[in-house]
Amino acid sequence: MQLVFTIIIFSFLSITISGQTKVSGKVVDSNDQPLPGANVFIKDSYDGISSAEDGSFLFTTEEEGEAILVVSFVGYKTKEENIFLKSEDINIKFVLEEEAKELGSVVISAGSFEASDERKGVILRPLDVVTTGSDADIYSALETLPGTQQIGETEGLFVRGGSSAETVTIIDEMVVQKPFYTSVPDIPSRGRFSPFLFKGIVFSTGGYSAKYGQALSSALVLNTEDLADQTLTAINLMILGLGGAHVQRWANSSFAIEGAYYNLSPYFNFIDQRPEWDTAPVGIEGSTNYRLKTSKTGILKAFGSISYGDFALYTENLDDLSKKDFTRVKSDNYYSNINYKEILGDDWTLFAGASFSLDQDRFELNTDKINQDEILNQARVNVSKQIFKSSFITFGGEVQNAIYKNNLNGMQLDLNELFLAGFLEADIFFTNDFAARLGVRGERSKVLDKYNIAPRISLAYRLGTYDQINFAYGRFYQTPFKDFLFQTTDFDFENASHYILNYQYISDERTFRIELYYKDYNKLAKGTVFTYPYLNLPPVPFNNDGSGYAKGIDIFWRDRETFELGDYWLSYSYLDTKRDFINYPTLATPTFAATHTFSAVIKHWVPAITTSFGLTYTFASGRPYYNPNNPEFLGDRAKTYNNLSLNASYLLTILDNFTVIFFSIDNVFGFNNIYSYNYSTDGAVRRPVLPTADRAVFLGMFISVGQKSPF
Amino acid sequence: MKLLLSLVLIFFAFAGAQTNISKYEKAMKKNLTKINETNDVTSMLNIANSFERIAFAEKDKWLPYYYTSFMYVLAGFADTTAEKTDSYLDKADLFINIADSLQESDSEIYTLKGMIAQARMQVDPMNRWMKYGAESTKNFNTAMKLDTLNPRPEYLKGIGLYYTPKQFGGGPKTAKPLFEKSLEKYNQFQPENDLMPDWGRDIVEQLLEQINKDLIDENLKPGE
Repeated sequence: MQLVFTIIIFSFLSITISGQTKVSGKVVDSNDQPLPGANVFIKDSYDGISSAEDGSFLFTTEEEGEAILVVSFVGYKTKEENIFLKSEDINIKFVLEEEAKELGSVVISAGSFEASDERKGVILRPLDVVTTGSDADIYSALETLPGTQQIGETEGLFVRGGSSAETVTIIDEMVVQKPFYTSVPDIPSRGRFSPFLFKGIVFSTGGYSAKYGQALSSALVLNTEDLADQTLTAINLMILGLGGAHVQRWANSSFAIEGAYYNLSPYFNFIDQRPEWDTAPVGIEGSTNYRLKTSKTGILKAFGSISYGDFALYTENLDDLSKKDFTRVKSDNYYSNINYKEILGDDWTLFAGASFSLDQDRFELNTDKINQDEILNQARVNVSKQIFKSSFITFGGEVQNAIYKNNLNGMQLDLNELFLAGFLEADIFFTNDFAARLGVRGERSKVLDKYNIAPRISLAYRLGTYDQINFAYGRFYQTPFKDFLFQTTDFDFENASHYILNYQYISDERTFRIELYYKDYNKLAKGTVFTYPYLNLPPVPFNNDGSGYAKGIDIFWRDRETFELGDYWLSYSYLDTKRDFINYPTLATPTFAATHTFSAVIKHWVPAITTSFGLTYTFASGRPYYNPNNPEFLGDRAKTYNNLSLNASYLLTILDNFTVIFFSIDNVFGFNNIYSYNYSTDGAVRRPVLPTADRAVFLGMFISVGQKSPF
Repeated sequence: MKLLLSLVLIFFAFAGAQTNISKYEKAMKKNLTKINETNDVTSMLNIANSFERIAFAEKDKWLPYYYTSFMYVLAGFADTTAEKTDSYLDKADLFINIADSLQESDSEIYTLKGMIAQARMQVDPMNRWMKYGAESTKNFNTAMKLDTLNPRPEYLKGIGLYYTPKQFGGGPKTAKPLFEKSLEKYNQFQPENDLMPDWGRDIVEQLLEQINKDLIDENLKPGE
């Protein structure tokens, strides 16, 4: 009995009375640099310490026997080491490996600009898009980035020598048939989709992903917001019209509805307009969206929008100055998109979506009546699977059915396109510093009865903590514009090859980027079609014999550090391009290409008056214009373009309702900008193509009903 | 004999458990006293590390996770670079979510979630207020509902309002009632035990003093 007791006592003592073991060592990264602040501890005990300034650690433990020593640190992979504790000092050196995708791993980014709230190291924030330029339009904000042109006489993104038809807009992975409201020559229209709809924007000025196609130059990829943050009612009063919105948020879903009415005639009475308006633009638009969180990782999104617009104006007939041409345009646009995304087990991600759009334009040109209907049905599936730790492959396919109907005074032309595409893309992180995106895309067009295979490669190599070099190559195909296909479908795909070399430095607050590119165009469609950038030239036969090139340098600098409450960015583009396409008689620099483009954006927040100011200056050297009297085709240059626009957002609370008053004015200094010149067919009469007004002014008041404070 | 043996064993088992509890309490208390003595990021992270060690050893207790998260939030507020602040707050999120899974619907946990959102907003208020302003308010309101006696959600909501410009319905005048209510609750507040969250009272008192000064200054200003 006593023996038993003694044994028990002793066994107990052997547990409690233990020797102390000194555990020491050093924590370093893969470059042998010390890592201070790492947590070094013995698993399942409290014993441990944070590593010191020089990465060293030293602590004592009373644990005995086999144990696991753990080192964990933000941004690094946790490391464990088996040790045996028996009063003898232990000294261990830990080399921690950086966790991929965390701060400071290489990012595949050649050719693209990204705006996001969620990702780090992006160039823009979605709010920048709203507060840049003068009209809260996504496209005008993107025109302050290098690689884009300042084209005032028509809408669209003209990227690196490409026409606006070479840029595709994608919303939630699906192509948008008509991203802009319908316009007429020399009077640009706006983008149809509000920047507030999107949480992420990737603007690629070249070398974009194999997921997308049908754009020779550029892809603008927009991702819509997930669930709305909160329930909210908003009222918008503008000098151009009025609108309202209501957003309802439930635990796992949200619903939003929004509508607006525009009428520009009061504004036109107030600001002198150059065009002779018969009916100032009026429009009604509405949109609705629904979001449902189907699980922790799954989300279903549905979006629908509808709009109606009408305007009419008179333009001078340069061939007969006694006459005026009358144009009226009535448009109906309908767009809807539904998609579902879910992370399935075993690192699989599924995306499936479908969209439908219907766009109807009714043109009256003097006595002619032209009706254009476009229907686009599409569906897409993307599947991605993580392979190894940080690499993944994505594959999928899309199908698009486009139906075009053109009716000129009762004469009907129909076109029915069935377009299929499939892609496979792998993002491979060889090391933390070296990554590659390898992709291939195949497309088939029923109307052309042709297919194509397009390889895409993008490489990124990190030089230091903040800087990296990128290289991209890709081949891009595009079906000739529908106006060609109405004439003959005996066409092949147009194509372009991109070569991009880029260096970028992105720190917390500063970004510098320089990109060199070369673009080789082949099989461009030739023939006479009467849409932009049509020139009044003798007809040419339809064929695929066009070609061209574009090369240049894009430079971007953004600095959020130098000024405490301010932020600015500068962009410069140099472009050398020539092409032979549409009805051009020879290779020439097209009308939408300026050699030098510069822009500066400055933002400053003044807390004392709770106002944010934004200033945007843009400069472009003169662009070529067609002068029938000059034997050198497109040998003339318009004058340089200058614009300084200013905007201010004043934030306040009116009767407990949070309110933003937004004011903007473009061309503050009233520079006389001439975009181009139009000539009569015989070359005897010429008229400059001018902005529709010397200055555009906007004033609006946006009220969030019942929302007291933004902070 | 058998009886005695089992009695002895039971005694030892009990003693063992007791030493364990006191070891946990001792370690926690040691860290809790350190919190009050720190005001630099490095030592906040060191305390976070030592709470984290306790958390990993005591996998089913929510408090060590709560305090680890709390220390990362404090580090997030104290740090001035956006990139680092966000990485600390990512950690804070990680730990508070574990705490949340161990202790469902706890007012203190929702208070801290609101505080994380506040810290995130502070990094870039212009771009982030829409998302994180709403998120912090939502969490503070939930925290108030879950425990009407918890003084901390009012205090933190008050801080948010205090630093909000007057034009947006913020400022000392609007924040004052919240601080007063919070102080009232602090006067009643009795933590369940020594380890439960019991912080913030001093700051509320200091801020109330400051607010009273602000309001006097404001009244002295001509034209106000």
